[in-house]
Amino acid sequence: MNPPATFFSGFELKSLLGGEPLFIQTLITGLSIGGIYALMAVGYSLVFSILNFSNFAYGSIIMLGAYIAYFSFVKLGMPMGVALVLSILGSAALCLLNERLAYSPLRKRKASALYFMISAMGTSIFLENLVYATIGARFYAFPQEFTGTNFEFMGTSIGMLDLFAIIFAFVAIYGLHYFLQNSRTGIAIRAASYDIQVCELNGVNNTRLIGLVFVLAGGLAGISGMFLGMRYMVYPTMGWITSKAYIAAVIGGLGSLPGAVVGGVILGVLETFVSAYVSSVVRDVFSFSLLVVLLMFMPTGLFGKYLEEKV
Amino acid sequence: MRKKWLAVLMAVSIFCLMLSGCSPAAGKGDVIKIGEAVALTGDNSAWGQPEKNALEMEIAKINANGGVMGKQLQLIAYDTRGDATEGVNVTKRLISDGVCAIIGPGQSGVAIAMSSVTEPGKVPFIATSATNPKVTVDEKTGQVRKFSFRTCFIDPFQGTVAAQFAAKDLKLKTAAVIYDVGSDYSSWLGKYFIEEFEKQGGKIVANEAFRSGELDFRAVLGKIKETQPEILFIPTMQKEASLIIKQSADLGIKTQYIGGDGWASPDLVTLGGPAVEGSYFVNVASLEDPDIQGFVKEYKEKYKADPVMPNPVMAIDALYAIIDAIKQTNGTDPVKIAEQLEKTKDLQVLSGKLTIDPATHNPLNKPAIIQKVEGGNFILFKKYVTE
Repeated sequence: MNPPATFFSGFELKSLLGGEPLFIQTLITGLSIGGIYALMAVGYSLVFSILNFSNFAYGSIIMLGAYIAYFSFVKLGMPMGVALVLSILGSAALCLLNERLAYSPLRKRKASALYFMISAMGTSIFLENLVYATIGARFYAFPQEFTGTNFEFMGTSIGMLDLFAIIFAFVAIYGLHYFLQNSRTGIAIRAASYDIQVCELNGVNNTRLIGLVFVLAGGLAGISGMFLGMRYMVYPTMGWITSKAYIAAVIGGLGSLPGAVVGGVILGVLETFVSAYVSSVVRDVFSFSLLVVLLMFMPTGLFGKYLEEKV
Repeated sequence: MRKKWLAVLMAVSIFCLMLSGCSPAAGKGDVIKIGEAVALTGDNSAWGQPEKNALEMEIAKINANGGVMGKQLQLIAYDTRGDATEGVNVTKRLISDGVCAIIGPGQSGVAIAMSSVTEPGKVPFIATSATNPKVTVDEKTGQVRKFSFRTCFIDPFQGTVAAQFAAKDLKLKTAAVIYDVGSDYSSWLGKYFIEEFEKQGGKIVANEAFRSGELDFRAVLGKIKETQPEILFIPTMQKEASLIIKQSADLGIKTQYIGGDGWASPDLVTLGGPAVEGSYFVNVASLEDPDIQGFVKEYKEKYKADPVMPNPVMAIDALYAIIDAIKQTNGTDPVKIAEQLEKTKDLQVLSGKLTIDPATHNPLNKPAIIQKVEGGNFILFKKYVTE
């Protein structure tokens, strides 16, 4: 038997130099994780760009989206497309409700961003415990027949679900981008992201505008919730994965949509490579170090606006 | 008025109990007192209640057959609520009741706390399902606790069982291990597996750690795929195990999945789906164990429910170890019983043969159960005794 040390160094060398399939496999896995991070990061950034606070309740909305998708697809036996639409609509409605109940009163009293954040954390804990109390702490998984189809590509195995998730995430993000760039409402949202007061002075109904932003963010939450649920499983604390999306949004520059996408993909790919080539134990050490170092040199992230502009 | 009388009556009876308990002649009477520290209420009562039921049933049977050395056995069971402080109180009471030995508790935390009373009190206890190594061995001194025993094997031993089963029965030669670095249970199981698998001539081709709460294992699994292991040993709980197996199948890894008793929840199948089919895992006890069928049948007839594994079986094993020690020492002196328990060798108990390791007070080569996932159910594949 070989001594373990020799064996492992040989193994590292092989995978670093000649291990093509591992490299491609890691890249694909990284992209699929990055795609979901990007989708969630866009939802975060959308709200941040208008209201200038981090909506920590977003993770819980994603979690509820996953439950809606699970129950309509698995328990009620609806087709997958219908489940996705229901998840999008349900999450959008919940996200709007969240804004109207938890943030709107604060906005009317002109509270500072800190109070919004505290309210968001409260909402998040409330929703999580609501699920514990009503549905329970059980884990749910989508049926394997659906999620487990693969095809071989250059010696690696790619899940249909991953491919679908990557494509759908980017289509959704592009659709949002197109909407923001080309429609009147989109222009109003972009204007509000620069200065919401001036925007209102120019005749935009801010209450409706903010409501719409939350509906859009909620829709994205529905999509990410369903993909997360299918990829992993559905359970009350699954929303915590959004802490990664939040980092992605910060890396890209909070409030910037292209930044959120780039941040998400960078984080997903980097994490997967660290897990595969170093160790998954130090993965989070890497991603959080990246965040700290980046913020030291680029305090507004890769695509962020100047901080002064917002204050 | 009635309440007052009741109170007086209770006080008198408690006083009498205390008197009889304190008298050194406790064993000289017609009964032999055996204590039980068990969680009858609280989260752990699901195991505690059947444990007490099983002991009562078994003791009634022994008494009906003439008892032990002509004396009747008496079980004194007190509720620990699965709580360490309560466990200490209960133990003090049992010792003052004059029991010759204590069966239980089921929880490691309670057992460790109890040893602070049983060591100076010089009364042995035999834990039923307390699997932490610190229960019988003092962490600071590294010395075995003279009065602490157990009939269940310690968690990491499952790693040894899994390794021998994989190497000898499945005749597989290479293995990869993926474990949770944030969990003692998982890391130790992995460590014992690796040690034993290498001892059996197998080769560990990958040993990968992940952090608790991880959801995506594909990066690490991609790395493991390159090493083409014949076995993937996953010493985790059912949630991680099912995710790992599912994702491993997604990546097209073809290997034999093996795990420990953390898998033993129907969730493994509902979450893992068809990918977990054909996997094996080590378990502490099983209702289908052919050696305990007589007991299970009696229990079901008497209590109209299944005994919740493994506590009832472990408690009855402990009962027989105590009875054997009483017979061997020809008396009920707790110190002598403790000394005799240490020498227990190849004693036939309910779950198989019991041998106590004098160095650790853990059972040696205690039989384990190998379960297999077949048709979405856990079936008893084999009862396994290590060498």
